[in-house]
Amino acid sequence: MICPRCDDATAFQFFESPEKGAWELYRCPRCFFVWRSTEEEEVIRPDLYDPDFKLNDERIRQMSDKPPIPPLRRQK
Amino acid sequence: MAYNSLRDFLRRLEEEGQLLRIKEEVSLEPDVRTIACAATKSATGPAILFEKLRGYPDKQIAMNVHGSWANHALSLEMPKHTPVKAQFFEILRRWDRYPLKPKRITNAPVKQVILKDDFSLFKELPLFRVNPMDGGFYLSKACVAARDPEDPSNQNVGMYRMQVKDHKRLGIQISAQHDLAIFLRKAEEINQPLRVAVSISNDPSVPFVAVSPLKYNEDEYSMMGAIRGEALETVASEHGDLDVPAHAEIVIEGAITPRKRFIEGPFAEYPGSYSTSMMQVEIEVDTITRRRDTLIFENLYTGEPWTEIDYLQGLNTCATIYKQMKADFAEVEAVNAMYTHGYCTIISAKMRFGGFAKTLGCRLLSTPHGVTYPKIIIIVDEDVDPFDLNQVIWAMTVRFRPERDLVIIPNAPASTLDPAHLVRGLGTKIIIDAARPAYPDIPLSDAASVVIPTGVPFWIEEIQKRMAKP
Repeated sequence: MICPRCDDATAFQFFESPEKGAWELYRCPRCFFVWRSTEEEEVIRPDLYDPDFKLNDERIRQMSDKPPIPPLRRQK
Repeated sequence: MAYNSLRDFLRRLEEEGQLLRIKEEVSLEPDVRTIACAATKSATGPAILFEKLRGYPDKQIAMNVHGSWANHALSLEMPKHTPVKAQFFEILRRWDRYPLKPKRITNAPVKQVILKDDFSLFKELPLFRVNPMDGGFYLSKACVAARDPEDPSNQNVGMYRMQVKDHKRLGIQISAQHDLAIFLRKAEEINQPLRVAVSISNDPSVPFVAVSPLKYNEDEYSMMGAIRGEALETVASEHGDLDVPAHAEIVIEGAITPRKRFIEGPFAEYPGSYSTSMMQVEIEVDTITRRRDTLIFENLYTGEPWTEIDYLQGLNTCATIYKQMKADFAEVEAVNAMYTHGYCTIISAKMRFGGFAKTLGCRLLSTPHGVTYPKIIIIVDEDVDPFDLNQVIWAMTVRFRPERDLVIIPNAPASTLDPAHLVRGLGTKIIIDAARPAYPDIPLSDAASVVIPTGVPFWIEEIQKRMAKP
């Protein structure tokens, strides 16, 4: 399965509806995107996903830490 | 008698005509968000209870629970038509009952079922995508309890957005200005996990206080008691000796992994725009406790204001800032910080001397909330009601002199969610002194305001009464 957001090809089904047959959930191991099989096409189809919200390696590298990781305290 | 639980409050909302049950089956996307958004835009702003969710036979969703002034008044057990300003002054009165400490009990509804190993957040909660471009399914009205790693007597409860990323994994957004960020920094400096307990679907005082910007050492549970007028019942978490609300529908326990960051977001936030994606911390979930009945999952829709969040974080933010400023400056009459979580904040006060409005503007910027959120600060005289925008704009048009009364503070701390800033977290603030110049400032050339005739208040009521008669 291809992640609609970051196009990673290793996304997989990880859950199905407690009431069988209603829908399945998928998740992307790279960008952690989660989607339901019954959502709008603009959300679940890689080719229709809004380019402004797409993720790639460069965008992921540029993300800053929130909050920043502090230095380890020196042991006395 | 204070509400004991979300269920109690939903019953009251229904009695007062402020709850709509959606009985037909709905899809989690897009029906829940569509109907919740419509509720925020409708004239009466009812809460919505979705009774039949496609795929989840034993779950329900409650939305827009605080999402109108009527619901807000009822959450405070006031008549539903209580004017906003009257609700503000009632909150101030209750604020003075602080601290009313929580009462820890042992036999709590939220402990009817305890899950420690084999569970999935996706099975326990009817999760859904709140807005189409959100990076996942979010808990948007959950309250997080944690303790200061260096001083465990200091417990904090706050509302933070949480992205459900896997069966037992939550992303959480912790902004630098929040108390939880201070706890996290201390935990990360010594490379220790930070225990948290996340309560969902609470009595209305819990989220109301969780979003209030109290001081670092103030106890949210004791403020919930003050707002309710009765001690909040809590119960001990399974791990970490945290207090959790005893009557919540469900509590998720886990620990924040120290010194690691993972992709989180985006999420549509209260400014009516999506946040960016950033590298944020995660909670490894190890325990769930919950009620045995059909679960009611309370969540919050955010979008173009006004939505539920504007009501939920409106008057409590005003009250917190008011109390903090009033302690230093008795001249402060009222504070309106309701617009985009206080991005625009209006303060009315008596002017002690010329330039005093600038002093008040700067004091606002040194309150816990004021450090980041306020961007447009408007100071008006005590005769201007800051909750009446007609009056505020009038004061700006006739008392504000841009060449003397405008202060610009560049490169100041700002909300990271404000889409207008070039650098997230850094922005420019303005103080608009829309008060009459006081001595030794130069008076306005036409300073004599028209006086309202003394009989006017009587006649306002009289006209209403006579008009009401058939």
